Amino acid sequence: MADDVKKELEMRFPSLKLVRELGNYLHIMVKAPYSVEAVLMAKTRLGYGILQLISAVDRIEDGVFQITWILENYEDSAVLLISAPYPREKCRVPSLSLIWPAASAFERELFEMYGISFPGNPREGEDFLLEGWTDIPPMRRDFDTEKYSMEKFGERQPREHTDPRQYVGDIVGEWDTTLGRKRRGEK
Amino acid sequence: MYCNKLPEKPGNKKELWQKITNMARANSLWVTAYGTGCGAIELRPLHTSRYDMERFGIAMRPTPRQADVLIISGYLSTKTLKRVIRVYEQIQDPKYIVALGSCTINGGMYFDSYNTLNVLDRYLPVDVYVMGCMPRPEAIIDGFILLMSKIKEGRAEGWKHYKENLDYYRENQKKIITDWDLPDYNW
Amino acid sequence: MLSNIISILLTVVAALVWGLLLGGISRNITARIHGRVGPRPIQNFIDMWKLFRKTSSIHHGGMFWMAPMFRITGAICVLLMVPIVVGQSINYNMSFAGDIFLLIYIMFFGCLGMALGAGNSGHPYAVIAVSRGLAQMSAYELSFSIAVLTIAVGLHTLRLEGIVAAQQAGVTSWNIFRFPFASAAALIAFLPMQMANPFGIVLAPQEIPIGPPTEYSSRFLSFMFSGRAIFGVAKLLLFVSLLFGGASSWPVLIVKTFLLYMYPVVVSSVFPRFRTEQSIRFLWFVPTSLALVDLVRVMI
Repeated sequence: MADDVKKELEMRFPSLKLVRELGNYLHIMVKAPYSVEAVLMAKTRLGYGILQLISAVDRIEDGVFQITWILENYEDSAVLLISAPYPREKCRVPSLSLIWPAASAFERELFEMYGISFPGNPREGEDFLLEGWTDIPPMRRDFDTEKYSMEKFGERQPREHTDPRQYVGDIVGEWDTTLGRKRRGEK
Repeated sequence: MYCNKLPEKPGNKKELWQKITNMARANSLWVTAYGTGCGAIELRPLHTSRYDMERFGIAMRPTPRQADVLIISGYLSTKTLKRVIRVYEQIQDPKYIVALGSCTINGGMYFDSYNTLNVLDRYLPVDVYVMGCMPRPEAIIDGFILLMSKIKEGRAEGWKHYKENLDYYRENQKKIITDWDLPDYNW
Repeated sequence: MLSNIISILLTVVAALVWGLLLGGISRNITARIHGRVGPRPIQNFIDMWKLFRKTSSIHHGGMFWMAPMFRITGAICVLLMVPIVVGQSINYNMSFAGDIFLLIYIMFFGCLGMALGAGNSGHPYAVIAVSRGLAQMSAYELSFSIAVLTIAVGLHTLRLEGIVAAQQAGVTSWNIFRFPFASAAALIAFLPMQMANPFGIVLAPQEIPIGPPTEYSSRFLSFMFSGRAIFGVAKLLLFVSLLFGGASSWPVLIVKTFLLYMYPVVVSSVFPRFRTEQSIRFLWFVPTSLALVDLVRVMI
């Protein structure tokens, strides 16, 4: 089943890249101009009629936002993820809210948290979760959340951390695990 | 519609009268049924037959006008703080605040979040802190017993402190709530 | 004259104490039905005192202040019209021919006052609850009035003490056995009077925040609770005199009112709540037809 889907998509979009395939789960990456066409083809021709989520990953090293549309085929219990990279500066992605009305909520969230604009979204620019937010969109990787929190909410007194070796030490004996030792680089 | 004056400073009453009144206030604490955070799930078992709270005289009231206690259960985002301030100032005197969880003490698990406040005591006067993440129903009952003993000794004076130092609290609240459109005091 | 005034004051105070104590005991019984331990039986007194000593800072208008007074006034009026113990002349100065009609109207007066006060508070949930409450009251007042009328016609008297006097010839002469259908209708109408489930749609804590008393707090709320306590005792006394033969001595009175009070408590703790239109439809058809059956039987 997933093979048929993959074959049809590869026929239509030759520059497709396969990210992951596991049974009924298929994750592909297409180029930015072809993303909406791929999503609509999945909805109309391949039977993936439910939009579960529109998600974004901040790939700051490559200078792109990777937008992912997660679609589901209810009859065959199959999931298809279509990702596309968009440039980080003045990011504009076409809106799918005319096709799936629920997409407008996901797009509002991405606008608030990442600054990705979806022209065509009927409720673009409304506050989603944060009220009165004046800084850069908070889910970007160049936003230092701890510094922001310390500046806005003031200093706090953290709890005291104690080293378990001080208290447990000889009583239990072997308190360390092999994985812990490996992670810390000891023998 | 809003009363335009600030609250008046409370006075002192006679000793024996206060003692009897404090006993009555301690033995019949009415809680506002408002779950502000993740600790609200630990308030539901208090109604049931295992951790019965009605035997202490504690009852849940649906409106803040008829309640004495406001329970801040866990983390408090700035959006919720705006609403909690409105609810708290609508409760009639004398009123108490019970703060559950470590997020109210020093920020807890979410100390580096851009949205949650770190030290609750700067914004609302807290009478009793209950430790835990989330505290179990037995721990919450323990906190209520501590609050009852504080009331009987006459030491639970958070509401007086709030009225006398309203400027200090308002300044702290306005620092983190950037779109302030509440009246001077929410009668 | 002075002894009359003192006896009236003692009646009101005793009704208040008995009503609050009954409320506390009923909370205990409800708790035991749920499988938990309830509060102390004197919990309602502690609640009353705590509410009385809270400050109040709300200004909503004149009717808002007066509504609890209306309620208490209505309650005390009903209390003073009802004979308490047969043979003792505490309230018989107040009774006159036709006072059964006055009682039915004064019972409505207290609830009307609270409805006006709740409407003046400006809270939308209070207004919803008030409209529900008045609609339901019109439904159960119909069957209750027909039942009372049946009993009055059947015994050829319009005085409440006449109704009580006609039942003094032993247990089989109680009205509940002489007019069974009318008594059933009156007892069904007793449930929405006490705001007990399944007809407890006025004070519905999970649907509309507590209904009419939404904006009330501190002193007003303590007055309303006292009014509800006194009103409850007055209704109990009315029903005991109407249906269960009045009381010939104080212990008998206490036992009868206690048992009658436990009937809505036990029913309400095992039933959920009707929707508004379900309860009104039920109250229009079922108890009214029962009362009409008895009315026809008495007329023939």
